[in-house]
Amino acid sequence: MLARNTQTNALHWLGKQLFNRNDPAAFFDPLLETLDPMLVQSQTPARVEQVIEETADTRTFVLKPAARWAGFQAGQHVNICVEINGVKHTRTFSLSSSPELWSTQGLVTLTIKRLPGGLVTNWLHDHLGQGQVLGLGEAFGDFLLPKTPQPVLFIAGGSGITPILSQLETMATRDFRAPVTLLYFVRTQRDVIAEERLKAIASRYSALTLNIIATNENDKPRYLKSQDLKAVPGLKARRVFLCGPKGLMDLANELLHQQGVREKDIHSTFFSSATPALNADLADQVLGGKVQFGKSNLEASSEGDASLLEIAEASGLKPRHGCRMGICHQCSCRKTSGTVINRLTGKASGSGEESVQLCISIPHGPVTIDV
Amino acid sequence: MKQMTEVQLQELEQDLNTIRDEVLADLGERDARYIRRVIRLHRALEVGGRVMMPFGFIPPVFVAATVSLGLSKIIENMEIGHNVMHGQYDWMNDPSLHSQTYEWDTACSSDSWRRTHNFEHHTYTNIIGKDRDYGYALLRLSDDEKWHPAHSLQFLNYILLSVFFQWGVSLHELEFERIRRGEIRLRDKLPFLKDFLRKGGRQAFKDYVFFPLITLPVAPIVLAGNLGANLMRNLWSSTVIFCGHFTQDAETFNAKDCENESKGHWYLRQLTGSSNFTGSKWVHLLSGHLSYQIEHHVFPDLPAHRYPEISDKVQAVCRKHGIGYNTGSFGHQYGTVVKRILTYSLPDRLRTKLIGQPT
Repeated sequence: MLARNTQTNALHWLGKQLFNRNDPAAFFDPLLETLDPMLVQSQTPARVEQVIEETADTRTFVLKPAARWAGFQAGQHVNICVEINGVKHTRTFSLSSSPELWSTQGLVTLTIKRLPGGLVTNWLHDHLGQGQVLGLGEAFGDFLLPKTPQPVLFIAGGSGITPILSQLETMATRDFRAPVTLLYFVRTQRDVIAEERLKAIASRYSALTLNIIATNENDKPRYLKSQDLKAVPGLKARRVFLCGPKGLMDLANELLHQQGVREKDIHSTFFSSATPALNADLADQVLGGKVQFGKSNLEASSEGDASLLEIAEASGLKPRHGCRMGICHQCSCRKTSGTVINRLTGKASGSGEESVQLCISIPHGPVTIDV
Repeated sequence: MKQMTEVQLQELEQDLNTIRDEVLADLGERDARYIRRVIRLHRALEVGGRVMMPFGFIPPVFVAATVSLGLSKIIENMEIGHNVMHGQYDWMNDPSLHSQTYEWDTACSSDSWRRTHNFEHHTYTNIIGKDRDYGYALLRLSDDEKWHPAHSLQFLNYILLSVFFQWGVSLHELEFERIRRGEIRLRDKLPFLKDFLRKGGRQAFKDYVFFPLITLPVAPIVLAGNLGANLMRNLWSSTVIFCGHFTQDAETFNAKDCENESKGHWYLRQLTGSSNFTGSKWVHLLSGHLSYQIEHHVFPDLPAHRYPEISDKVQAVCRKHGIGYNTGSFGHQYGTVVKRILTYSLPDRLRTKLIGQPT
């Protein structure tokens, strides 16, 4: 093993010398890609094997990642990378299949709902078809099932069901011996995602109590209420997993606390809605926000049109920079989250991970950058 | 330098910004496809050249392998590396095409290049004393610099610089002339020298040690071919770059006139300090579109294959504001460069007697 490691290290070192890059294997990608996109080394390619219509606005994409993908645990998410009009976009989605499907058939699924105004989700629905290849990151996240069986309550809303689908499937397959309840909130019965899969799991996995609640079928909305929680046997002893829109999460947290469920037993995972592109004039924007300097472990706040470079310097940081007028790109660095406005064009950036020029980027709400 | 009022400069700035905004709004798949196609061509040429080289004992194969590898280095340096490092493709959000992490196939480290070229040269273009690219502190190319007897041999220096161009560029940041004048100490340059040895060593190891050694029986042939390919790239890139700022009508500027300058003034300086040359599509590709040096200097971070498309608009703006647009055939432009190097190697009295006062 050691010999093999030394060998790969030596080869990697040599590759760096020959190809001037830290990922020398990717040097040949432009040629390999034309032969077969699954041969690409710069990212883990995953081919779309099948697209399943779940509801009017939700689809499940069955993917076959290249064999070197490291796998995942139920409840984790992945970044996927797609190219739209020449621009690479990275977005995070929960895996909706069980790890068993990956280990037995080499497949994973992503269940994705169209977000109104969302660039990537709409593109995935409109353009991503069978046979196409996208980039897949390694799985991450700690929305994980307890290691030993204990009573569980899931509260999901809308497409927040996706990580829970993976978890329920896993529990059923591994025969997780403890009471499990799912409260699944959807707008109308037509919006139930993976209804057949849920029913199939419930029929073979008797520990599961399935409760699908439509919130908007009557004149008066029917949201989560304390009776729903009181009806769950042994609530206080349960581990609770929450995934859904912010309104549901806040309400659930409040009601759970009222029922005496301890903070440490509540696990949440968020999904955010897309921010529509802002094209209004700079003057109309509310500018500034909290800036996190990821690498320096520093945080600063700004108001008005101070650029990220100015904010960084005011915080005592010295990021590399040059012309300070948006020409030389010396100060370009990665923004890991948040939206910035380009001082020269007045345009808003995307919300995902991308490169920005510090000297002409003005925070628009909270921003995290690699400085 | 043409004198323009602040109002005129503001109008110039707006006119050029309009051209820039149009391109920015249109960036997309076409540009991504273009640069990927060029990258594929580069990979094919490099792989082809390296594979053919050991069979270079057959003369036509030697020529094909050397030319293939030379072209691959030219395309990588000029159309890919130089342009990617300007941030022309940052908008693609592709980590392998990112301005701040890209490392190119030449002795100069990308970090050093980004400091000396992207920042110094493109910000202080042709300002004597601030733009060290003007004559590379080696050649006297205007009478802003006092004549010295050593200048009479500067054409020889020019030839040497062209032949060893990648090493000249990689040592540019050493600022040897300032060390010699005692303005800075060699010790201050140790981090730079370390970086130079790492990158320069890597390049020399690859072309002059590793590839010859793994083909040991034909090592001299591979070494010769690799030297030839590097020479080809050195001569071509040096020639292209000299045509960009040292032609007859390319202007120079005083540091005093450029203090606290407006963006409009910066634009004016880029327009009048740069020069283009004409040629076929392939000439433009192999020059990294630095044949459109004027467009490049005005918009250094627009994808270079767009320069031919916006050239007419830039020329129209120049005409509107009465600013010269310096272009000509490659032969003509290069001829004026050679003439400039030669004439400024002469003492001022002799030079003015021969060619008259500079206008």
